[in-house]
Amino acid sequence: MLQIIIQGLLLSGLYALIAMGFMLIFSIGRTLNLAYGAYIMVGGYIYFWLSQQLGLPKLIGFAGAVAVGAIMGLLKHRLIVKPLKGDPVAVEISTLILAVIMQSAVVLVFGDASKILLPIIPGVVTISGAQVTYNIVAATLMSWVIILALYAFIRGTHTGRAMQAVSMDQKGAAISGVDPDRINMITWAISGGLGAAGGVFFASYTQLSPGMWVAPVIISVAIVIVGGIGSIIGTLIVAHIIGFLEIIVVAVWAPELRGVFTMLLIIGVLIMRPQGLFGREEH
Amino acid sequence: MPGLAQTLFITASGAGMNLRPHHFILWALFIAGMLLMPELVGRGTLRTMVFACYLAIFAISWDILSGRTGYISFGHPFLVGIGAYTTAILTRRYGFPVEASIPIAVLVTMFGGLIVLLPALRIKGSYFALVTLAVMELMYQLVPVVRPDLTGGTRGISRLPALTRGAENGYYLAVCLMLAVALFAWLLMRTRLGTALWAIGQNEESVRGSGLSTTRLKSFAFLVSAAIAGLGGAFYAHYLGTITPRAFFDINVLFQIIVAVLIGGAGTILGPIIGAFFMVFLLEWLRPFLPGQERFFVYGAIALLIYMYQPKGIMAIIESGITRLRGART
Amino acid sequence: MTLKYGIAASVAATLLATTAIADIKVGFIGSLSSDTGLSTLRGAEMAIEELNAAGGVMGEQITLVTADTGEDVTEGVKAYEYLAETEEVDFVISGSIDDVSLGWLPRMQEFQIPTLDTWTSYIGIIDQVIEEPDLMAPYFMNIASDEALATLYINFGADVLKAKMGWESVVILAEDTAFGEAITGLVTEALGPVAGIETKEIITYDIGTVDFAPLFSKAQASGADFIYQVSSVNSQVISSQYVKLQVPMAMTGVNVSALGMEYWEDTGGAGGGISTLSPIPSVGFELDPVSAKFVADYQAKYTSRPVMPHFNGFNAYHGLKQAMAAAEEAGGFGDVKAWNAAMLKQDLKLEKDGKLWLRYGFWQHGEVEEVTGRTYPQNARFDLTAPYDDAQPSMVVIQWKEDGTVGVVYPFEYANTEFEVPSWVK
Repeated sequence: MLQIIIQGLLLSGLYALIAMGFMLIFSIGRTLNLAYGAYIMVGGYIYFWLSQQLGLPKLIGFAGAVAVGAIMGLLKHRLIVKPLKGDPVAVEISTLILAVIMQSAVVLVFGDASKILLPIIPGVVTISGAQVTYNIVAATLMSWVIILALYAFIRGTHTGRAMQAVSMDQKGAAISGVDPDRINMITWAISGGLGAAGGVFFASYTQLSPGMWVAPVIISVAIVIVGGIGSIIGTLIVAHIIGFLEIIVVAVWAPELRGVFTMLLIIGVLIMRPQGLFGREEH
Repeated sequence: MPGLAQTLFITASGAGMNLRPHHFILWALFIAGMLLMPELVGRGTLRTMVFACYLAIFAISWDILSGRTGYISFGHPFLVGIGAYTTAILTRRYGFPVEASIPIAVLVTMFGGLIVLLPALRIKGSYFALVTLAVMELMYQLVPVVRPDLTGGTRGISRLPALTRGAENGYYLAVCLMLAVALFAWLLMRTRLGTALWAIGQNEESVRGSGLSTTRLKSFAFLVSAAIAGLGGAFYAHYLGTITPRAFFDINVLFQIIVAVLIGGAGTILGPIIGAFFMVFLLEWLRPFLPGQERFFVYGAIALLIYMYQPKGIMAIIESGITRLRGART
Repeated sequence: MTLKYGIAASVAATLLATTAIADIKVGFIGSLSSDTGLSTLRGAEMAIEELNAAGGVMGEQITLVTADTGEDVTEGVKAYEYLAETEEVDFVISGSIDDVSLGWLPRMQEFQIPTLDTWTSYIGIIDQVIEEPDLMAPYFMNIASDEALATLYINFGADVLKAKMGWESVVILAEDTAFGEAITGLVTEALGPVAGIETKEIITYDIGTVDFAPLFSKAQASGADFIYQVSSVNSQVISSQYVKLQVPMAMTGVNVSALGMEYWEDTGGAGGGISTLSPIPSVGFELDPVSAKFVADYQAKYTSRPVMPHFNGFNAYHGLKQAMAAAEEAGGFGDVKAWNAAMLKQDLKLEKDGKLWLRYGFWQHGEVEEVTGRTYPQNARFDLTAPYDDAQPSMVVIQWKEDGTVGVVYPFEYANTEFEVPSWVK
């Protein structure tokens, strides 16, 4: 029991971190950023390149990954989202194309073989029969720190409040003196940075591979659907629902159905409550 | 809301059901050209064209559902896969003849279309896209798990009965199927029904406001789209001879279908066909120059550039080119 | 629009077709960006280079064209069609993975082009050879099929896991794929009766699993003595998490990611203690002089990864030469029946220190393998019983040590290191 709780908390923290950047973009532009998985992938690979191949300190590797992710977000906003004038369908399709291009690019640069990240913090401890690596604890703590910082930023700063305003009502925000374009740009950059940070941790859990971008997108999609376009807190809660669901299915039921239950949850929630558990009613 | 009445009126009178002689001439030329292809090109090219034809069928199917009504489906490979798997299971596991298995596959896929329809009754926009993506993913996860004795698990089903052999026969079958589907879709879109579907994509509320049942219209679009996807998927499965989950329930397949429609031009009949041929041939032509992974990179980059240049697709580029030419002459 | 493309394409095709007429054309099908694909490609390149330097085959030079699959099933079908209809190759050498091979197989049956598969070990394809010998006449697989792989593993269970380690029960941790199911079935059927190891529980997991911690907890709770893992997809995730989590329980089995020399580099060292069965010649496998020379030449020629060819590189190198020798005997590749008969007769015996070390030959039609009691026509010849004097074993068990070295632990005739549990397992 304790084991499930520990493992559930750890996995959920990771999922929350992954979904956060995706949720930001979705709530501000109602846009599915399918290239979000590319930030995750690129973040992981940049960290691997800097810290494992070049042997630089891990902190520099992490900072480098976040910076590249943020730049990618900015570029995507400049080169794709703006020229398409934010048309959600066009942005969705172009991000899908971009994701496939990024996958080829990763194969070209790093090759096809999967790679494993060394633990960011080595060591392991056994708690009530379950092995827990310090690395995963660190990942979860980091994800909590990042999520709380983001929460403070959105609630506490002028830019953050402006982001919220734009997410609720773009035109209204513009009238009240917020520059939606600037806010959008900032949001895309933050989303890119968050994705890359999540990518480093996701990769340190699993592996680096050119196809790794799909799974985090599916997880993010699940969390956003079940949670709805909502607050950071909503995303956090739903990440825990999905994380725990997964751990419970694997630990006590049928591990081969791990993903199936998540998908069923999505479809179920949509039929019962299309706007998601914590979503606002959309008109 | 004058919008709907206006659009209905404009489309109906401008290009509506009144079929004009030049339509028939253009169709006849197009069909004759496609059927003459084996005389003009080598067998290797014909093989490529077969893939293009099947992709065009899936693209037309996607366009009827998403290009017209605006309900962007990310789960279309799900429908194509149902068609393929149904006929594969029936012929290989239960010894059905293909004459029976393909029609059943179409029916089963239409049922699958209803599953996709359910969420569409309540949600739209990006949410709908998300759910269909989830449905496809669910299918990918379920195929290896549920009854692997039937589906063959991750290694799929081999040795499906072939309908024809050889490049020419395969081509004739695929191109006839594609032309039939295109002609059917074209005629359908000329009816009031087609116009109404298009109007849903423009403004669903006003369609409802004008007293039409959007639920019924949407169900119709979903069923037609699913039937075409199932038909294409079933024939495609027999053309391939082996089907595996990775060849259907995969984000790459989704990518190809959607990009074919959008590169070609959504909401048209010729657009998805042009897009499918363009994408398939682009990849094939790059092969001698870029044998490895660079090929997929360049292929994706070209697709993105064209799409960014003109989100309405090659059709719109051609049209504006023609307009400019005409403008230059006068 | 399409018409214009078509004509342009036909012009291009004619141009391509006229460039090479007299040569023997070999087509490579596989991924050009994976270690697997590159091993086969380079093995074939080196064999062709040597044959051409020695005057070619039937007085003609051999040329090689490639068709990338990107490990995508549909791309694989297109690649085979490209080789067959646009390039009109005489012979195909394949480094495809399972479902890609299954995808292009109907095309091979249609075109009837002699084809050699060097990586796929799926027994279902050999079953097709048995059921439809005429249609499958062009097909040869020069790697022992998975049933033979699993069967030898049972002996490893009896001789090492039971006899030496004293383990009596196992929990199987298998991925949810056709490969996982096949191997699990064979292992569970035979581990009890042959090796005397009781199967406590079979845990099947989803290949997209992010976190293996609950699975390892579950395995530990089963009370078994060791874990038997079966993993061919994303294998590095399970092995690296096993190492990172320092699961206090021994684990052995099948882990496809550990089959190449790059494993250590790719895992950043998080792979010590992992053991897996491997087709031959594996990493850590001592080589006979002929194969050793191949590796030396390979390393002189190629500097990028894979630094050492995977088993399928050897298969491609020796197999391509055999295919050419068969063609010489049969008067070319055109008469598939004649080529098939000549190919079946190919038999290359490589010795090391006076002992038969590797044998590149094929099982004949109707020839029953005694241990498994079935036939393996057109499949690589293997031997399932010590002292392996008919052919090499169907596989060896290798183990990566915590210091990054790797060696063969079973069969004893081929072993150069001992099986041991990782340091954190008491």
